[in-house]
Amino acid sequence: MQNLAVPAVALERDNAPDAHAIELRDLTVRFGTGTGSVLAVDRVSFSLAPGEFVSLVGPSGCGKTTILNLLTGLLTDRPEGDVRVLGKSPSAGNPDIAYMLARDSLLPWRTALGNAVYGMEIRGVPRSKCEEQAMMLLQRVGLGDFADKYPKALSHGMRQRCALARTFALQSPVFLMDEPFGALDAQTKLQLEDVLMDLWSANKRTVVFVTHDLAEAVALSDRVIVMSARPGRIVADVRIELPRPRNVRALQKDTTFHKLYARLWSLLEQGMSSHDH
Amino acid sequence: MTTRSRLTIAAHVVFIVAFIGLWELASSHDLLDRTFFGRPSGIALFLWKGFVTDGKLWLELGYTLFGAAVSFLAGSIAAVSVGLLFMVVPRFHRAAEPYLTLLNAMPRIALAPLFLLWFGLGVGSKIAVGCSLTFFIVLSATVAGIRGANSDHTILSRALGASQRQVFFKVTLPSAVPVIFSGLRLGLIFALLGVVGAELIAAEHGLGQTLAYLQSTFSMDGVMGLLFLLALLGLGVTALMNRLERSLLAWQ
Repeated sequence: MQNLAVPAVALERDNAPDAHAIELRDLTVRFGTGTGSVLAVDRVSFSLAPGEFVSLVGPSGCGKTTILNLLTGLLTDRPEGDVRVLGKSPSAGNPDIAYMLARDSLLPWRTALGNAVYGMEIRGVPRSKCEEQAMMLLQRVGLGDFADKYPKALSHGMRQRCALARTFALQSPVFLMDEPFGALDAQTKLQLEDVLMDLWSANKRTVVFVTHDLAEAVALSDRVIVMSARPGRIVADVRIELPRPRNVRALQKDTTFHKLYARLWSLLEQGMSSHDH
Repeated sequence: MTTRSRLTIAAHVVFIVAFIGLWELASSHDLLDRTFFGRPSGIALFLWKGFVTDGKLWLELGYTLFGAAVSFLAGSIAAVSVGLLFMVVPRFHRAAEPYLTLLNAMPRIALAPLFLLWFGLGVGSKIAVGCSLTFFIVLSATVAGIRGANSDHTILSRALGASQRQVFFKVTLPSAVPVIFSGLRLGLIFALLGVVGAELIAAEHGLGQTLAYLQSTFSMDGVMGLLFLLALLGLGVTALMNRLERSLLAWQ
């Protein structure tokens, strides 16, 4: 796993032990201008330590994806407040960031291997190194025998495994994931959550994980941030004190897991109802 | 081969033999006027003579195929280039669109007399007609293909840091290929159609010219023979393109 090491995170840790990997201060996002504008995100502040796995949960339209797009640099509206990713303002194509969506977005004309190298290829990693790295990751996610298959021949779960390989093949210290398992059935989802935990524990990146599946958020995260319905505000920021490494499937029977889940669920309900608009 | 597909083939053979047999029988007993419909044995004789005994049809076939091939290549290369240019300079696309729509609405075969005047009786005027048909078909396929790129793919690529150029070559263009390809398949058929059509009007050589000549001399065996040949040609061209598509677009 030596070649998966992420120098940027290490540097950050060495030079400034207290530095945040991601920091949002009083973030306010408005769509449109003037009287017709909609307040999407209202004074949201939180930060992530390097290597921390944090989930954002909340009802749809609470601004989770907006925050993620903002971090990616894909949002064109200028927000109020301050946003920093590894100390820098977000910009599209920032090599510090890897991005994963609910839809696998695999390129249908590329094989699984071709898709796994895609991110590295865009970032100019030499071809031979790309393939070696991608092949290793395909094996890790259980697609070693499917490297030369086109996406049409892969199942939903396999396609998302391939997308995981593509994401982890990038050396980026920050991962932004927008409901990456949202389109999968419950069984496949648990399997892939374990694959994600396996990859992540081998090489801890800072992860912002957007989901509306509370169980998933609890099982995977160090912290879960609960947001309210639009305009998105932070209702709670809960530390998940479950030991690591975690096995997501085993957690399904764990009592602490269920207590945390229940607590977060009531917080989420508050966020949906105690809404003064 | 399965029994089922063997049965299907047998059924086809029976049908074709019965059809030709009936035709032959009807024309030999004067139930069907030979001057209007020809007769199968005469058609076979015509083709045999044209391709084997004196071999004169090879030359005409050559002229038509050459014309169609050049029309197709020139028309589709121009169309794909213009389509890509439209994608790079959308303003040019908007400006050019009404004129292209107008030109495309014109029945191209009606332009053939004009092209004959401009480019002469030879293969030049045939290529002009073929090109003008192929060009618009392939152009609209190229534009549609480029517009049809999946936005997930472009968003992901941009988020990963792809430049405009990388997005174009790694996402937009490959995703347009299947649509462009179906345009090319149609374009090839239309190139053939344009060339034969123009030959019918006036030409020195070509299957269309031969067809017009045979028709004016009431040689129906020849006309039927050539129609059959043209149908086979169209079939062959489609089969060729399908094969090419399968090997080039294995991912589909």
